[in-house]
Amino acid sequence: MSRDGTRPNRGIVAAGVHVPQFRLEDEELSDAWGHSQASGVDSKAVAGADEDAVTMGIAAAERALADADLAPEDVSFLGLATTTPPLAEEELAPRVVRALGVPSSTATRTATASPASAAQVLEDALAAEGPALAVAADAPEGDPADADHAFGAAGVALLIDDEPVVEITDVAHHSDEYPGIRFRQRGSEDVETLDITTYQRTAMRDSMTAVLEALDTDLESVAAAAIHQPDGGIPYRITGDVPLEAEVVHRGVVADRIGDAGAAGVPLGLVAALENEDVGAEDVTVAAFFGGGGGATALQLEGALDGDRTAVIEDGEPISYATYVRERGYVVEGEVAGGGAHVSLPSWRRSLDQRYRLAAGRCPECGAYAFPPEGACPACHELVDFERVEMPRTGTVVAVTVIGQGGAPPEFVPQQDRDGAFGVAIVELDDGEGSVELPVQLTDCDPDAVEVGDTVTATVRRIYDQEGIPRYGVKFTPAE
Amino acid sequence: MPDAYLIGAGQSPFGSFPEETYRSLFETAYERALDGVPGDFDADRIDEAYLGTLGVGGRQIGLSAPAVTEHVGLHGIPTTRVENACSASGYAFRDAVMAVKSGMADVVLAGGYEIMTDTSSDHTKWWLGVSGETEWERMAGTTFAGVYAQMASAYLQEYEVDPTALSRVAVKNHSNGAQNPNAQLGFECSLEDAETAPMVADPLNLYHCCPTTDGASAAIVASEEVAKQFYDEPIRVAGVGAASGRVGLFQREEFVGIPASRTAAERAYEQAGIDFENVTDQIDFAEVHDCFAIAELLAYEDLGFCGRGEASRLLEEGYTDPDGELPVNTSGGLKSKGHPIGATGTGQINELFEQLTGHGHVQIEDAQRGLAHNVGGSGGGVTVAVLEKEVDA
Repeated sequence: MSRDGTRPNRGIVAAGVHVPQFRLEDEELSDAWGHSQASGVDSKAVAGADEDAVTMGIAAAERALADADLAPEDVSFLGLATTTPPLAEEELAPRVVRALGVPSSTATRTATASPASAAQVLEDALAAEGPALAVAADAPEGDPADADHAFGAAGVALLIDDEPVVEITDVAHHSDEYPGIRFRQRGSEDVETLDITTYQRTAMRDSMTAVLEALDTDLESVAAAAIHQPDGGIPYRITGDVPLEAEVVHRGVVADRIGDAGAAGVPLGLVAALENEDVGAEDVTVAAFFGGGGGATALQLEGALDGDRTAVIEDGEPISYATYVRERGYVVEGEVAGGGAHVSLPSWRRSLDQRYRLAAGRCPECGAYAFPPEGACPACHELVDFERVEMPRTGTVVAVTVIGQGGAPPEFVPQQDRDGAFGVAIVELDDGEGSVELPVQLTDCDPDAVEVGDTVTATVRRIYDQEGIPRYGVKFTPAE
Repeated sequence: MPDAYLIGAGQSPFGSFPEETYRSLFETAYERALDGVPGDFDADRIDEAYLGTLGVGGRQIGLSAPAVTEHVGLHGIPTTRVENACSASGYAFRDAVMAVKSGMADVVLAGGYEIMTDTSSDHTKWWLGVSGETEWERMAGTTFAGVYAQMASAYLQEYEVDPTALSRVAVKNHSNGAQNPNAQLGFECSLEDAETAPMVADPLNLYHCCPTTDGASAAIVASEEVAKQFYDEPIRVAGVGAASGRVGLFQREEFVGIPASRTAAERAYEQAGIDFENVTDQIDFAEVHDCFAIAELLAYEDLGFCGRGEASRLLEEGYTDPDGELPVNTSGGLKSKGHPIGATGTGQINELFEQLTGHGHVQIEDAQRGLAHNVGGSGGGVTVAVLEKEVDA
């Protein structure tokens, strides 16, 4: 073990992946612009109008916990890495903590400076004690004419613990000053590059070479490599000075199918590499992160993951370029006209346990369930203190409608402009001992296809923004 | 307990009136209510007023009721603003009746007013969609069209009803409203028009939704002694029932009916000596709260006009047409006459007054006893009033 400050025998015990449902094919992009700037990107994943780094991170983390069969209460650290935080300043990890039901004593980290932020939260997770979640989720934005071409989206969560399936056996760093390669100006949502071709390719290649060679392994024997991947071609180009075969690099490339997923790119490539059928329990895999300004981090790992979490990369619903620019919000004003219904932020916060965890109340007098769990019992009408009951996250539609253009409350107009008509259902959740009903919005589906009696599953999404603050809560999507 | 009587009622035209204010519209309704009292009635006899409003577009949330009573010259009388969303003036009427029956007042003014059409459509949706369980229903992305559409989805599925029933409500109510000069949408519509209108919230389309409306209405409630000074056959308030329900649809035990409607009806019927099972034999006509077409179907069942799931059959058979067994919404209803939130309840009372005094625009033959049913939100508050002409007085 050559790692400093981390305990040996620690690494990945489980992983979760979230790739948004929409896909934009290279052909659509090329037809729209006459060319594509996204080298080696055949298609890319597109975040829906109600998705962002927080929701994609939550979705991935939920799957990582399910993968490990670990209760949220047992998580001791949670780090969230993204280059597209919904707010430029404000801790985001606590939102993920609340949404997952992770204890408030959990240490958190929000890292947002560059795609290499994912390496920072991974290192923090390695240094932590007990089960630690390293989450990376991103959906970069940029000038639709060029920078945007390669930008995709994904969320990945790696659960780090002792006695891992995949041990992280070494970490190496390299730092030098290389500005202007990938940056976002203060106050801007657009990721930019100065596009000084030779300069930036040299910077990335030299950084990759230095940091990979610093690892305690013979690179020629490495089975797979997940390399910084702002498009589908760069991982191969910037490893030209190290003895990594194209096939080895290929196992860790996902940008060809989901685009540049920012901070989530290398972690997702790593999960794909570790799941690759040619990577076995004895094999060594490397991951190399490049931060836009010139910082680089490399991990060395030993082992492989069972399963096929990254199969979702191949799924997805193709969309037109027009739909793409709507979903991404490039052509929609975000301002709420006419003023939204004012649900104060403190009252919203008070209801987070319901909106995230579907917490209902059981009446201590008669046993009936109440949602939200406040006021008098809906059955015996006694004013009681309800016992908290977390309801199942899958339920049944008991009433449903579709809100078409013009029918949405003003605070939902920007979302409707982006994503079109949406379904609103009343969903019954039944845990076998009682049931509650709640009104919810439907997402990731054709709302006209949802009928009374259908089974639907909860997913945390961005509900709306008010007074500059995004608000999150459950929506429901038809069960597989 | 002494009885209360309706001695006069009136309403302003319902519609979109950029030149009017809530005060000026109320002035029209008030003057028409005074004119409705036969003989020489002195407005100084009004002891008190209860006026319903949701809030006049949010511009006058406080003290709008004294603003209108002072405006019409009822200087100094105690005035109470009543807010129970769309049932505001149904409750205001009930308050007026209680004031008279208690003996504290001899003559009480009930009424309502609203200005809804002079703001942007987004602003309108902002203040109209907040009378449900805002933190949950609204934050799921619905306004009331969405919530009633959810009821419709559950109802159509539960009883396997053809959605054409929704359009039949529109056709009937527009046919009635076309004869009412005070109606906002006073034109007829064909079944085809109603079937092919743009969808608002599936399965409710534009013709299944009432409009937003400017308007005011007023009713004068008085003691028996006062009523008999003006009438040989005075109109007695035989019953005023009211009930509350969970404000959020999702919080209720059923979606295919409005429980508070049924409870309010049972209370009103008991006071009026009406047997719930045979209500259709004991009333001659009704004004029901058809803010959305599904609401009229639910009302037939909640008020006991038919059994569960049978409302569409009543419509198909013409049972609730003006020449049917039990005419419903001869005024045009909220659908055609309009729905100026706070003014709707006493607007319905005005239709009852016109019918019982023989001045209906679509006059029911030999109208002796009528019912008004006024719903707040999706059923959080409901009033049912039964008025009857005392022929033996």
